[in-house]
Amino acid sequence: MVMAFVAAAIAMLAALIPAGVVLYRGELVASVVAYEFITSVAVMVLALLAQGFQRPALFELPVVLAVLLFGSGLVFVRALERWL
Amino acid sequence: MVRQVVADVLLGLAVVTTLGASVGVLVMRDAYQKLHFVTPAALVAPLLVALAIFVQMGLIENTGETFLALLFMVIAGPFLSHATIRAIRVRETGDWRLRKGAGDVGRTAGGEKEQ
Repeated sequence: MVMAFVAAAIAMLAALIPAGVVLYRGELVASVVAYEFITSVAVMVLALLAQGFQRPALFELPVVLAVLLFGSGLVFVRALERWL
Repeated sequence: MVRQVVADVLLGLAVVTTLGASVGVLVMRDAYQKLHFVTPAALVAPLLVALAIFVQMGLIENTGETFLALLFMVIAGPFLSHATIRAIRVRETGDWRLRKGAGDVGRTAGGEKEQ
C-alpha cells in the first residue's frame, strides 16, 4: 500500500462535503454543477485508491467513470434544459 | 526517494486544488460562478494525479489507463461546461441566444448584422 496515494484519496473525499452541501441545499442548477464536480473528484479518488492499494485491475474504474461522466452529465443537462 | 518526494508534492497540489475548488463551489453565488470551480477539479487536479502516478510508477499500463481517464475528462469537460451553461440560460431566458436590447439592436447572438 502506498500511503501517500491513499491519504490523498481520503483528503479528496473531504472535498465532497462542500459539494454535497450544495447538492442537497442548493438550487436545481447548482445541484447539477455540484454533481459534475463530485463525479470529477470520484474519478480521481478511484485512480488514487487503485494506485494506493496497488491493484492494477481497479484502474478500469476511473476510465469507465470518466466516460460515464460525459454521458450522464449531458443527460442531466438535457433534462434540466427541457423538462426539469 | 526523489520520485517519492515529487509524487507527494504533485499529490499535495492536486488535493489543495480540489479542496479549493470545492470551497469555491460552495461559496459562489450562482451556478455560472460555481461552474468555474468545476474546471480545476475536472482538468487540473486529474492532470496532477496522473503525473504523480507517472512519476511513481513510470510508463506502465496503470499510468496509461490513468492518462486515458484524463483524456476523456479533458475532452468531456469543456463540452459539459458549455452544455450546462446553455441549459441554465435556456431555463432562465427561454432561449440561449442574446435578446435584443438597447445595446444590441440589429445584431444577432453571433454578432452579425441582421438583414
